[in-house]
Amino acid sequence: MSAPWYKFGLFGDNVSLVVAFVIGIGFGFFLERAGFGSAKKLTAQFYLTDMTVFKVMFTAIVTAMIGVFYLGWIGYLDLSLIYLTPTYIVPQFAGGLLLGVGFVVGGYCPGTSCVAAATGKLDGMAFLGGILAGLLLFGELFPLVSGFYTMTPLGRVTLPEFFDLSYGLVVFLVVLMAVGGFAGATQVEKWMAAKKGVR
Amino acid sequence: MKGLFTKLTVNRALGLATLVLGFLALFLGDPGKGARATIDPSELALMVQREVDHVSPEQLADWIIAGRSDYRLVDLRREAEFAEYHIPTAENIPLTGLDRSSLGRNETVLLYSEGGIHSAQAWFLLKARQHRSVYMLSGGLDGWKERVLFPRVTADSSAASLEKLKHVSAFFGGSLRTGSGEAAAGPTLIMPKPQISAPPVAPAGGTTTKKKKEGC
Repeated sequence: MSAPWYKFGLFGDNVSLVVAFVIGIGFGFFLERAGFGSAKKLTAQFYLTDMTVFKVMFTAIVTAMIGVFYLGWIGYLDLSLIYLTPTYIVPQFAGGLLLGVGFVVGGYCPGTSCVAAATGKLDGMAFLGGILAGLLLFGELFPLVSGFYTMTPLGRVTLPEFFDLSYGLVVFLVVLMAVGGFAGATQVEKWMAAKKGVR
Repeated sequence: MKGLFTKLTVNRALGLATLVLGFLALFLGDPGKGARATIDPSELALMVQREVDHVSPEQLADWIIAGRSDYRLVDLRREAEFAEYHIPTAENIPLTGLDRSSLGRNETVLLYSEGGIHSAQAWFLLKARQHRSVYMLSGGLDGWKERVLFPRVTADSSAASLEKLKHVSAFFGGSLRTGSGEAAAGPTLIMPKPQISAPPVAPAGGTTTKKKKEGC
């Protein structure tokens, strides 16, 4: 076991910032190359005319999942040391809904708004400004919402633990979902294109 | 058959590879929990002999007073015993719960039990599960009582060390013991109440103190 590198002390805080910077640049670059700097492309997802968002996100999930599973299996990666965001059912449900509405209305999610702003898009910059203002507001109002914020805590849960399934089975099911989803998404795109053509 | 593979588009080939890897995962078992616990007996034996894995009660007392938080103090006794008294800042993980505990392999863990036997056994369990830095409180809770809470004052101890002993034991709610033999057997030593300021407990089975800088 020698990964996660940071937690096993392969590098310290300073180097970890450099690593984060490099990964961030890479993340932004590939989001932009996937076309996620454009609000039109992103919102097309919600009209089912362009399923790129779905495909890119699911590809990332499946790639990371298979990588983590196999690295853990060969004994290189210590899964218990990977940080998992603790689960709070109700606030996360509300937050997810809010983010989805914001995505449809504003045309970006937080990460892609940075990409859009970096490519000089005014709507991206406005969105980013909104994020910063919202963060400030949330921080200032936190004492008022802290009760809601920590409601219904489940702690650190994973799907295999929660449903009492084996890790391998969950990996297989997610892979099936992804591959099925890709095929389905391509089909949906074709239907929507045909519908548009008819109209 | 050969033509089938050359005809695949890149997308389809990647999709197929994903399916194969996902299918194999079904049979590979758990990627996490140390199914392959390995120990190096000679290395462990050396560590045991050199006693590098021991922390003395006095040292622990200094750590607690100094407010150090870069280690986790683990009480291996049963819950009832833990509720009765435990060393301040300790968290209760009974020996049988060690396997499911939230102790990270990169964390410094200091174990104690009543005497020293259970903590030594737990030390081996954790070492076998690849935990990096595991320590034992030498003498266990008995040693803690003997050397920190109710230290015995002998005639030849210097004034300075006496003052320190007094200060430390008072910090933890104990007192000095003078004389020998009979005092120990005599009036019962009243254990201080466990402090209200228990270590922070994460909600519902979560892990305890998480580093703030994590997450996205």
